[in-house]
Amino acid sequence: MLLGQIGGLIVKLAFLSALVGAFFYYRVHRDRSNRWLSFARSGYHLATLSLMTSSAIFLYLILTHQFQYTYIWNYSSTDLPLSLLISTFYAGQEGSFTLWALYTSVIGVFLMQYAAKNDYEPEVMSVYSLILGFLLLMLVVKNPFTFIWDSFPNDLLQTGAVPAGISNYVVLDAAKNLWARFPVEGKGLNPLLQNYWMVIHPQILFIGFSSMAVPYAHAVAGLMKRDYNSWIRVATPWSVFGAMVLGTGIILGGYWAYETLGWGGFWGWDPVENSSLVPWLLCVASIHTTLTQRKSGAFVKTNFVLSLLTFITVLYSTFLTRSGVLGDTSVHSFVDPGNWVYWLLLGCIAVFSSIGFGLLFSRMKEMPRVPVEHSFVSREFALFLGAFALSFMALFVVVGTSSPIITTILKGKASAVEIMYYVQTNLPLGIGITFLSGLGQLLWWRHSKTGSLLKSMVIPVLLALATTVLVILMGWEEFEILLFAFCSAFSLFANLQVGYGIYRGNPKFVGGSIAHIGIAIMCLGFITSERYDDKATVSLERNKPVEALGYTLMYTGYRPMERDRFAFDIEVVKGEIKRTVAPSMHFSEQSTLRHPDLINFINKDFYVSPVSVEQPSGPEVKSFTLLKNAEAEVAGFNVRFLDFDFDAFERGAMLEGKNFVINVELQVLEGKKKQPLTLKMINTGSGPEFTSATYVAADRRSYEFTLVRIIPDREDKGKSMMEFTVKLPEDPGAARKGETLVVEASIKPLINLVWVGTVTLIVGFALTIVRRAEEARMQSEKWRQE
Amino acid sequence: MKMKVVVGLAVVVVGIILGAVNFLESNVEYMDFTGAERTSKKAQVKGAWVREEAIAFDAERVKFSFSMKDDNNRVVRVVLDGAKPNNFELAESIVVKGRFVGEEFHATDVLTKCPSKYDGDADAVRKTL
Repeated sequence: MLLGQIGGLIVKLAFLSALVGAFFYYRVHRDRSNRWLSFARSGYHLATLSLMTSSAIFLYLILTHQFQYTYIWNYSSTDLPLSLLISTFYAGQEGSFTLWALYTSVIGVFLMQYAAKNDYEPEVMSVYSLILGFLLLMLVVKNPFTFIWDSFPNDLLQTGAVPAGISNYVVLDAAKNLWARFPVEGKGLNPLLQNYWMVIHPQILFIGFSSMAVPYAHAVAGLMKRDYNSWIRVATPWSVFGAMVLGTGIILGGYWAYETLGWGGFWGWDPVENSSLVPWLLCVASIHTTLTQRKSGAFVKTNFVLSLLTFITVLYSTFLTRSGVLGDTSVHSFVDPGNWVYWLLLGCIAVFSSIGFGLLFSRMKEMPRVPVEHSFVSREFALFLGAFALSFMALFVVVGTSSPIITTILKGKASAVEIMYYVQTNLPLGIGITFLSGLGQLLWWRHSKTGSLLKSMVIPVLLALATTVLVILMGWEEFEILLFAFCSAFSLFANLQVGYGIYRGNPKFVGGSIAHIGIAIMCLGFITSERYDDKATVSLERNKPVEALGYTLMYTGYRPMERDRFAFDIEVVKGEIKRTVAPSMHFSEQSTLRHPDLINFINKDFYVSPVSVEQPSGPEVKSFTLLKNAEAEVAGFNVRFLDFDFDAFERGAMLEGKNFVINVELQVLEGKKKQPLTLKMINTGSGPEFTSATYVAADRRSYEFTLVRIIPDREDKGKSMMEFTVKLPEDPGAARKGETLVVEASIKPLINLVWVGTVTLIVGFALTIVRRAEEARMQSEKWRQE
Repeated sequence: MKMKVVVGLAVVVVGIILGAVNFLESNVEYMDFTGAERTSKKAQVKGAWVREEAIAFDAERVKFSFSMKDDNNRVVRVVLDGAKPNNFELAESIVVKGRFVGEEFHATDVLTKCPSKYDGDADAVRKTL
């Protein structure tokens, strides 16, 4: 048995064990007895262990270049360095599902212990095991261990004796003489993915995706236990963890697109980007609405809905980007994975939506109704509006990303929305969210006195106005953008003010303020780098300095990098600064891949992305083939081919084997002027040589005629032909150009704010996790004492 | 309480209208060249590259131009803002997004649709044996 077949079997075992785990956890819940608990736990652990084993086998097969497997042949090759070779594990669909399932299973091991401590294990784990089961079902259907001869039977399956000299074959059935050849080299990893981002970014993103299942499992567990309040405390640390990791993954993806893929900016509203943004927005919204429920008990249903949706949008996003439903409407190429994955993912969405929302509806009546007692001027209301805006943002992004589906239904033809759609729908919401994230911090729970609120707003508003003035000094922009800048700055200063106060009281509680500060700084960075950027398309002739965007650029030549990739060195000079950028291009049969390069200054990035490289073009040369007495128009004058001149003397020389000459007599006709022109073919022992002759036209420009060949016709001399070229004079207006590199250069002011904001946001999330985890621990201790 | 419901509903309605209008406006409609010539809006045209006619790249202005035949066999010169799109030579069909300027179609985007991956893969398998 081949190792891959064992791997495939182990995946099936993992799938069954996960279902066993889910089933017995459910029995523990239903019977309210721990009789089956150890059985359920073993089921889950066996699933995890099996999945780890099959992943290890898969990795081993990749590292040893076993191209008998379609997946490995498809995505890897023998020339990849170790880190990239490992990353081919998740370069394709089957592998990335494996990685997703693997992280889900590992997170579940920790979740099990956590849930046991909080008295939530049977419910949370029954749901969670079911989720793991569905992910594993995907792998059962789309087996990563598929043999290449099963994918390409016509080309690889053979019967009869194996010819001598072939070593890359496997005998499949000795009795039937059935055997298969397999490749000795793989197709290799997409060059766009060949960098360190590929090693880290998908991993972080999938940890984020996996952890989004935890709030869902807790919400369903809460419904199962008829516990409509305390599940929130148990779930929150995980929601914040998921938001932190997924958020980091999203921003890293943006940085990857900016730095390596050359999308020009860090966000392109691409379906793949959008599909991770939507669950993140909903998760962040739920973190905010649960705060209100902790305080006043309101928003019970909202919190269930948001936590359920967080995971369901993960599934929906996966459906959009993995089922091939978006087709050709995006720059990302979506491989058509076949009907199975399509229906399985749809089934997955249906199952987990009906479990979650079905339970929610059936429990709706018995849920506590908490009258809303807060006023307009309260933190609750600000939180509500903020979460509402975040959800709306998620909705707009979902609708935009689903545009090809919606337009297929409405118009019968799929089309994607323009980027403007996302900007115009999200900008007003962004303004609202940043404003509320500052205002909410200044408000008290239940009700704030307007006077005290206004007083606390004075300093942040003044500082925000000052910041807006600074932004306006960079240049005028449309009103909405300036308002966005004002609100972002307001949020920044309000949170700094409040955060400082909290820090002096209890430093552990400062996470929220810090996360808001991070978001506000990021938003300011978005505005400056995207709206105040300066762009120019520059043609750089080799070794000739060109002024652009206040810098002097000089293209100094190219050098080969790995494979078909070339780096183009450009010197960038401004005053004292002298640096080199080297954008690169990868040329292959199908396409040209363009990689930008940048110089990161403290206050801006100088960003250069290559467009094309033009080789020097010489003067135009025209070619003619003429019969005797035929005429052709060259450029404002005609040329007639009169005859060959091959006299008796030359014939004699030819017969004696000496050098001989054949003259070609031409006649140039310009206006009324007629001028003879003779081209020669000199035959020497080493082959013919052709001479040129120059004609100076009436406009005094020179045309160079060169004989190319003589095509004699021995039977009918009248049909003999000759071919010649005419080099046209160069246009004096267009000076001849050397090798020219065309680049798009841009300056992105204060883009570092985006990265500083990101780090700040992550720190804020991390502090919040610590705080909420402690809170959950205290709650469980309290229960135990009771 | 009632006041809040009204405010909330108003916000929702405004939001949905804002979204719907933007959605419809930014969804560029498919048509043929003749239709695209008539409308003042941005249009999407599907067709195929006419290989017999020259392609050109203007390095100064960064414009790539080629001739495209739409489904009704009308041939129009397309000028793209940018360099030659990826997979251009391989593309079975091309979708251009933009609008007419005089006789030419000025495209902001060109999407290339490539032949199914499977055929290419069978070839690739034979090459790596």
